[in-house]
Amino acid sequence: MLQIITRKFFEVVVFVLFITFVSFLFVRMAPGDPVLTILNVDELSVSQEQVEALREDMGFNKPLLVQYGLWLVNFIQLDFGLSYATGQPVLDMILMGLPATIELSVGALVVMLLISIPLGSLSALYRNSWIDQISRVLSILGAAIPSFWLGLIFIDLFGARLNILPTMGRDGLISLILPSLTLGLAISSVYVRLLRSSLLDSLSQEFIRAAKARGLSEMRIFFAHAFRHSLPPVITVFGVSLGSLIGGVVVIEVLFAYPGIGKMVVDAIRQRDYPLIQGYILIMAIIVFLVNTCVDISYRYLNPEMKLKERETN
Amino acid sequence: MSIRNGFKKQNYIKVSLLKLAIFLGVIFLSACLNSSGSTENKEKDKHISFLYNFSTNSLDPHVDSSYVPLRAGITETLVRLDEENLTIAPWLAESWEGEDGLHWTLHLRQDVTFHNGKKMDAEAVKASLDRALQESVAIQNALKIEAIEAEGYTLKISLKQVFPEFISELVNPNVSIIDVTEKDIINQPIGTGPFALESFTPGSKLEVKRYDEYWDGASNLDSVTFAFNEDANARTLALKSGQVDIVYRPEVESLESLRAQEGIKVESTSTFRVHQMTMNMERKSLQDVNVRRAVDALIDRQKIVDTILLGYGEPAVGPFLPSLPFVPSYEKSESKTAVKYLEDAGYSLVDGKMQKDGEPLTFTLLTYSARADLPLIAQVFQSDAKRIGIDVEIRQIDTPEEYMASNRDWDLATYSNLTAPRGDAGYYLNATYHPTGALNFSGAEEPELTAIIDQLNRTVSQEDRAALAEQAADYVHNNVINSFVLHPSTIVAYDDNKVKNWVTTRSEYYMISNELDVK
Repeated sequence: MLQIITRKFFEVVVFVLFITFVSFLFVRMAPGDPVLTILNVDELSVSQEQVEALREDMGFNKPLLVQYGLWLVNFIQLDFGLSYATGQPVLDMILMGLPATIELSVGALVVMLLISIPLGSLSALYRNSWIDQISRVLSILGAAIPSFWLGLIFIDLFGARLNILPTMGRDGLISLILPSLTLGLAISSVYVRLLRSSLLDSLSQEFIRAAKARGLSEMRIFFAHAFRHSLPPVITVFGVSLGSLIGGVVVIEVLFAYPGIGKMVVDAIRQRDYPLIQGYILIMAIIVFLVNTCVDISYRYLNPEMKLKERETN
Repeated sequence: MSIRNGFKKQNYIKVSLLKLAIFLGVIFLSACLNSSGSTENKEKDKHISFLYNFSTNSLDPHVDSSYVPLRAGITETLVRLDEENLTIAPWLAESWEGEDGLHWTLHLRQDVTFHNGKKMDAEAVKASLDRALQESVAIQNALKIEAIEAEGYTLKISLKQVFPEFISELVNPNVSIIDVTEKDIINQPIGTGPFALESFTPGSKLEVKRYDEYWDGASNLDSVTFAFNEDANARTLALKSGQVDIVYRPEVESLESLRAQEGIKVESTSTFRVHQMTMNMERKSLQDVNVRRAVDALIDRQKIVDTILLGYGEPAVGPFLPSLPFVPSYEKSESKTAVKYLEDAGYSLVDGKMQKDGEPLTFTLLTYSARADLPLIAQVFQSDAKRIGIDVEIRQIDTPEEYMASNRDWDLATYSNLTAPRGDAGYYLNATYHPTGALNFSGAEEPELTAIIDQLNRTVSQEDRAALAEQAADYVHNNVINSFVLHPSTIVAYDDNKVKNWVTTRSEYYMISNELDVK
């Protein structure tokens, strides 16, 4: 176990160094100049001399590697720097926005599970029946409808017409319903189809026939054997797509004025707020890494074969 | 599959689905109960819900570039813009003098208190100004303050250089006066305005309540919700559903449907912003004033206002909004067509192309999508130019300021600028036409114009400044250094059955005031 932990720790360090270095280069090499934002050139009189002086002062004229080194030294001391736009510590800002985004992602996941597990299971059990056809059409629709449009339809329906749900802000669980529903519906279409095909694959396996031969009930076979066996591919896709899920939250955050981190980082990119962008990338990388580690671990429990293989190799 | 098992399975599934339906139903029901509860509370007191089109994570008045603390009526500045005459008017400062433009004396009102009850005296104002200077390089550059002395209710400020527009720079919302002894300025700034901050949810909304001791007469309202939503469609729907009472910048395309709804009023007013066609004077073809005049004549302003802004804008003649006191009368010179100007410049139409010495006239036109109108203006220009035999290549860029400053391989650029945000022409003229200005993308180096701006920078008297600004605007107009397309409007929609005394300001600085009320 200690060996696994040390190996994982080493992996994290290399991973973080790589991600931060590459993102540092990309962010700095992209066109745009934070100095113009800081000096508010759109509204305040500024001379080219002042622009140049500030650029020098902030170290933008130093070689990129030196700038990265300085950032890294601060980062090791857990100092993510101050946001250029608000002057607040970057870590504080991220920690302020993160709960809302996580809430939204979890809400969307719950909706996704509530839709895709029953629908995916039913369409696998009743393959090519009307229920399967309906689920197919719904999945195609779900994948084709842009989430911002669906969101607007929900706002119009539940907010403007029925007036029963709040359409913006973050005031407890109730304000989470519409954004989660919008985002959850959009992502569930993929998982319904994925779960269906994975289930069909499991149901045709030898061990299912063996279970049937042992006289186990259909329900037991379905949930304890087939369903469990069909999960690893679904969880793998989930682990890989978590990053894009959190990225996809941005549109929903803007539409429902949900104050999460996605919206914050889009503003940061627009304003070339380097410390905030860098902090965001780092935190997201760590989250994705952690989730993928959890996914790895979950395989061991979901798929007994892996445990067996490990035992054999040992 | 046996029949018995089939039945069992179907039953199981039915029960599961039923459980799911009950679960969702309960969530839904509780949601409905909660929402009706919260609206009841709000209706008891005099309350207005305002929805703004930007969001902010910080309420630090000295740093936050969305100016929410001032706009929400929490903070105030020493002087303000008189929206009627577009001149500088007293606010927290009663009067001021500074004949030499270097040493300024400001006399503060003596009846002002902060929301925590403390007196706003010169010492407190000095501390607030000191903090603004320390927190923001932009404010340091803008105010050029060398030293501040505080005595009773008098402030003596000396500057690093002669700076006649110093007083107008104090209009800037980032120079708001706050009590800096308070700890959490980012989340809980204490100002002097008609409303005191009650709660702030970063990126979402703030709740403010009436400050009873407000020096200019306490508001009739008990409280105001100042919420943010950056999606124009969602803002429009929020007003339609009655969740908010006033919406800043609703979706332009849906204004007709808003108007059609009983009780909703849509207001618009031209802003200090101008959409302009920046001309790169370092390019050979554009060094000829007649070519610049041709470009100017090619811009069909009325068509652009009508089709792109659906009428919510004002065709521009010069950079400044016509109602500002220093706008020249722009005497009508003989107006020729673009083709005539090009003929004067030696061009002629050969094989459907405008040419001079065998060289066809083409333009590279920069545009960027951060302001949605600009790419459309570029397209209208492109098609109008094509009609008289000029090929225009549109190039989409990301960051206009940086691109235009570091690349000179373009001829024209659609750009948008605030021209007199604080009621003075100094900012725009210096930034855009002075050879040292950071926004001088046309590369203008006209000795005569530079001399006028330099003189403006030394002139304190308001009348003389107006005359000089007028001269500069005239020079820009006559020599067509940049061409001005339109002043876009600010649009505000509100529930006319409820909201009383709402004013849509041109500066867009003042929104929640002590006059705002419910019917």
